[in-house]
Amino acid sequence: MAHNELILTNVTKRFGGLTAVDDLSMKVQEGQIYGIIGPNGAGKTTVFNCITGIYKSEEGSVNWRGEEIRGLTPYQIVDRGIVRTFQTIRLFSQMSVAENIMSGRHIKSCQHWWHGIVPTPGKKRDELDNWKKVEQQLNFFNLSEFAAMPAGSLPYGIQRRVEMARAMAVDPTLLILDEPAAGLNDKETMELLETIFKIRDQGITVLLIEHDMDMVMEVTDYLTVINFGKQIAEGTPEEIQKNPAVIEAYLGSEDDDE
Amino acid sequence: MNNLNRFGLPVFILVMAVLPYTLNERWQAVAITFLVFSVVALSQDIVLGKSGMFNMGQALFFGMGAYTTAILNNHFGWPIVATIPLAILIPAIFGILLAGPIVHLRGDYLLVVTIGFNIVFVQVLQNNLGGVTGGPNGIFGLDSLKILGANLTSQIAVYYFAFVVLLLTLWVMSNLEKSKPGRALHYLREDQLAAESIGINTRVYKIFAFGLGAGIAGLAGTVFATQYAAVSPEAFDFIQSVLFFSIVLVGGSSIPGVMLGVFVMFVVPEIFREFATWRYFVFGFAMILAMILRPRGIVPATFGKIPKFLIKGGSHGA
Repeated sequence: MAHNELILTNVTKRFGGLTAVDDLSMKVQEGQIYGIIGPNGAGKTTVFNCITGIYKSEEGSVNWRGEEIRGLTPYQIVDRGIVRTFQTIRLFSQMSVAENIMSGRHIKSCQHWWHGIVPTPGKKRDELDNWKKVEQQLNFFNLSEFAAMPAGSLPYGIQRRVEMARAMAVDPTLLILDEPAAGLNDKETMELLETIFKIRDQGITVLLIEHDMDMVMEVTDYLTVINFGKQIAEGTPEEIQKNPAVIEAYLGSEDDDE
Repeated sequence: MNNLNRFGLPVFILVMAVLPYTLNERWQAVAITFLVFSVVALSQDIVLGKSGMFNMGQALFFGMGAYTTAILNNHFGWPIVATIPLAILIPAIFGILLAGPIVHLRGDYLLVVTIGFNIVFVQVLQNNLGGVTGGPNGIFGLDSLKILGANLTSQIAVYYFAFVVLLLTLWVMSNLEKSKPGRALHYLREDQLAAESIGINTRVYKIFAFGLGAGIAGLAGTVFATQYAAVSPEAFDFIQSVLFFSIVLVGGSSIPGVMLGVFVMFVVPEIFREFATWRYFVFGFAMILAMILRPRGIVPATFGKIPKFLIKGGSHGA
């Protein structure tokens, strides 16, 4: 099998007359924490949607482990080990935290459709195994005390953790985080950093979008900066910080934003 | 709520098991129809309550099961019991075929399409397709239930037939609740995009819900045909689908909720039969009140059915 690499080549996505992602190429290597940054509306989330199959890019190629995944459906892409979280948290809000995380076990469970009608001893074992995995994620993300609570009733910071736990329950190879620190306070952001490092240490590649520059510079190994759907720079955080194009497009305008 | 789950169901089963001996002929018939409608309403709950798909055509599958039994019994001389497998399979297959092209539709659009299916079905029956559906009069003179050579003609026998079917349905529902496909239905109802993005093929599970719902409704159809020894198109009209739809809405997507829904929407109007058409006045107000006071149904769906070893504190308050 090829390396666990995600290679985007000349990806272009248009919405009517608007080109949201314009001829974007990038390469995420195994074990990296890779960041995508850019001003609001730069097309970052659209890139994620193109990778995870929610949109299909008009041109270019999305290659994962040597396989073309452009045009696959979201669940087929999850099946290949790429899982995402959302910028606006999308939990199953009436269901408990444990059930939310259990949804991540869906594709790993060996139950078939008829197990919904007639139980078998194998089904019972499979259920228990998967709930045990859920327990692991609950412990890893410090969510045990919330296991039985409806996800929608929890504070924002905890919901973020539940969403990451749900994604991690899939046992992904590539974890895609869309603004994981949005709406978190400083303490929670610090915890998030630690969690991301721990996830990377498990051998999982992490691809993230982030607005919090301090966090991006601290956590990522490699960065791509996009503006108006185009890549304007790539490199290590140190290189990006010195890049004049980036300073003009992004960092320079940061004061204006706030 | 916990007490209701723990003691409610056994008590309910016990009461239902002895019920026919306390009732006269007329109320026995009402009780049988209560059981049959409960099964159909539970099948509707799989599609509407659990998966959140607005299906206004459940009477179609109910009718298809009833007609399968009636045609096989009347034209081909099959015993009632022998028609059961086909009375489940044919509606289930139709459920899958009909759902295939339409499950991507959202809410109200799906509702309109399923109404259309229901009307087409009734028209086909009335126009005597292939000369076997008996036209507007339907089919009558079905055999009575025969099990192991014993001819069970009494209403009480039909009652227990319906009761066994209900218990079987409750068993299937409880298996569904504790399985991967059952949870998948909940996930896609709550947030379809999130469900797809976590690896659930929502299309397959939506069709699964339709197929399973149709199969259970078909089985209820067999009991219905046996009870009246007849079938006719108007019993499976679009209005009947509306009844099943509103039972789930008023009752809520839970087993006690659906049962209460059937009671309020079907048994209560029977009790007030002496008020003639005025009884629907009460019934209409009951619906309005239920929706205002309990928008998620009398007994709403509960989640949080998770293994005990995961619960370390806090409680589920859905």
